[in-house]
Amino acid sequence: MSESDMAIIKPEMMKSYIWLETSDGSIQQVEQEVAMFCPFICHQVLQKGAGSSKNNAISLPQKVNPAMLSLIFDYCRFHQLPGRSNKERKVYDEKFMRMDTKRLCELTSAADSLQLKPLVDLTSRALARIIEGKTPEEIREIFHLPDDLTEEEKLEPLKNTMDDPRIRLLNRLYAKKRKELKEREKLKSIEVEEHVDERSVDDLLSFINGRDHKVVNTSKSKKKNKKRKEHKNGTCKVSNKDSHNLHSKQRSVDETSSSLGGVSNLHNIEDDIFSRKAEFEDGYIDDEIDPALKEMLDREVEDFARRLNSSWVLSVGQERQPVHFSINGNGDTRRLTGPAARHK
Amino acid sequence: MTTISYRDEGIKLYSTGTGLINQIVSKENIIAQNMKTRIDDQSKPQTMIQEKYTKRYQNLKVAEALSNNHLYPFACNELSSIIDLGYSQLPKDLKAFIFRDCLSAFRLLPDMNTSAAVSAANLLVKSVESAFPKQKKNLAIVEFKQAKVALKRRTKGHDEHIDLPSLPQDILVHIFSFLDVYSLLSSSQVSRSWNQATSEGSLWRSLFDLHFSHKVSIHIHPGFDWREAFKNEYILYKSSKMLRSGRGYCSYCDSVVWHDNLRCPKKQCRLKSGKKPLDLMLTHQVVNYLLGTTSSSDESDSEDEAVRGLWAYPTLQ
Repeated sequence: MSESDMAIIKPEMMKSYIWLETSDGSIQQVEQEVAMFCPFICHQVLQKGAGSSKNNAISLPQKVNPAMLSLIFDYCRFHQLPGRSNKERKVYDEKFMRMDTKRLCELTSAADSLQLKPLVDLTSRALARIIEGKTPEEIREIFHLPDDLTEEEKLEPLKNTMDDPRIRLLNRLYAKKRKELKEREKLKSIEVEEHVDERSVDDLLSFINGRDHKVVNTSKSKKKNKKRKEHKNGTCKVSNKDSHNLHSKQRSVDETSSSLGGVSNLHNIEDDIFSRKAEFEDGYIDDEIDPALKEMLDREVEDFARRLNSSWVLSVGQERQPVHFSINGNGDTRRLTGPAARHK
Repeated sequence: MTTISYRDEGIKLYSTGTGLINQIVSKENIIAQNMKTRIDDQSKPQTMIQEKYTKRYQNLKVAEALSNNHLYPFACNELSSIIDLGYSQLPKDLKAFIFRDCLSAFRLLPDMNTSAAVSAANLLVKSVESAFPKQKKNLAIVEFKQAKVALKRRTKGHDEHIDLPSLPQDILVHIFSFLDVYSLLSSSQVSRSWNQATSEGSLWRSLFDLHFSHKVSIHIHPGFDWREAFKNEYILYKSSKMLRSGRGYCSYCDSVVWHDNLRCPKKQCRLKSGKKPLDLMLTHQVVNYLLGTTSSSDESDSEDEAVRGLWAYPTLQ
């Protein structure tokens, strides 16, 4: 963006405004010097001659919404003046960067699509400062990101993990389910309905006892930690136990899936999960079916575990008898025999 | 003085942090000596030593670090170590400084809002409980409890179910290029997309260059895994131990500093040093510098023991 360019354009266009159209269809005009600070707009003007009139407005990339655009132009308006000192610019930049994380992310995307590198650098540094020194959970909270990595991958961050897209989908589904369960817990703590909980607890207990009596131990040990973490007053004891059992089950199924990392026959299961997921989501809207939903969840989980078991047998073939998922007192599934043991 | 020649010998043989600290100590002694000769006889040697301690503490800039989000846990740990290892030996005004900084550490805790900060503050409270005299202890604990309450209040109002726009991979990589090792590793555990972004070789290459290029020369071949290489060197050089303090010694400004990604925070020093990183220091070495002692920490390895023998002579006037 040189002075000579500006000199050429000005007499040609005889205007000092450029017309821009954002992704939502609204059209606005901006002072030329300000808009030309963005390389993207600059190219559009110079190479395509766009932006000269309302009909010929430059259509901006999708990520640039009007709010972000005005922010960006504030930035451009300040910095395009050559008379500013370095210190002034620095002070302005620091003030400019004071906004919440969501806006920072949006601004970064927008600036990147407009190829405004100095602003991208600025916002990236600000985001890096936010990320610095935080644990993964804290980062996830701030950026509202899904927890979709397997436990194995988390434990070995410096190792290259295998990249099965099906496992990825499953993990994302589990993450969603975990979140939904958490929300259900929160709802439960508000409404103290004992009789509803009684029923589902019985169901769960029978489910648990039917599968493996050792799982109950897991839930009990996890109970202590759970109680310490949750400082909700007046939560009914039953609902707590409820969520514990569910949680421990979730965790145990998580662990089985992760220890089975290498299983390949999963696409059938995943399709089923998808259709079930749709069912689940419909049921979710109707809040009165709490216990029924829980039962559906249980059935799903049980089914899935059964399928894993059978597909595991299929893929392994040879000598294997159906592998029993024995879960130790600490919820650790690593004592599986044969190929499963290989994974750890 | 023969003692100085020992020091010089030591500096040639051992260029570890311990040797350099004693370099600082020796320089401090020289300065102290000069100052002493200028001041008239009426001055008490006691105050000289006191001022020396206090000056060293101020040079450490612990208080400034407390208000920095990233350095807060490091600063708290350092305070804890100072209190644990030598609170009783400190002169009166330095004790006052330490007390003041503990209070401000607790006061700033609600702003920090990370679990690392909370655990560092917990550690500090434990040190305070065991070492401080009754009145100061109670004041500090009250401050700490208030901070915890404020923290709880902050975390309660946080449920926003908005979806943030997902950042494209190349922007993520650009953001990660500004991070230190630990933050990068944390980021890799956040989500699938972030994990993929952190596996970008260029990130690990620059980290490798930053940490190890002056120590290690490597053969690069196509398909070279920079992350694996970094991991191997990291384990070899016990980086996790060395990085725990957040401290380094800068030979250009001759001071103990909070390193900014292994570099001195001062611009002139960065220009002078070029690509060379600081000498990292362990927390107990920093405490030794402050107190002028040569004690080693519980986790000292055999190397420390060997060095200690050479430096076993009085260092303070």
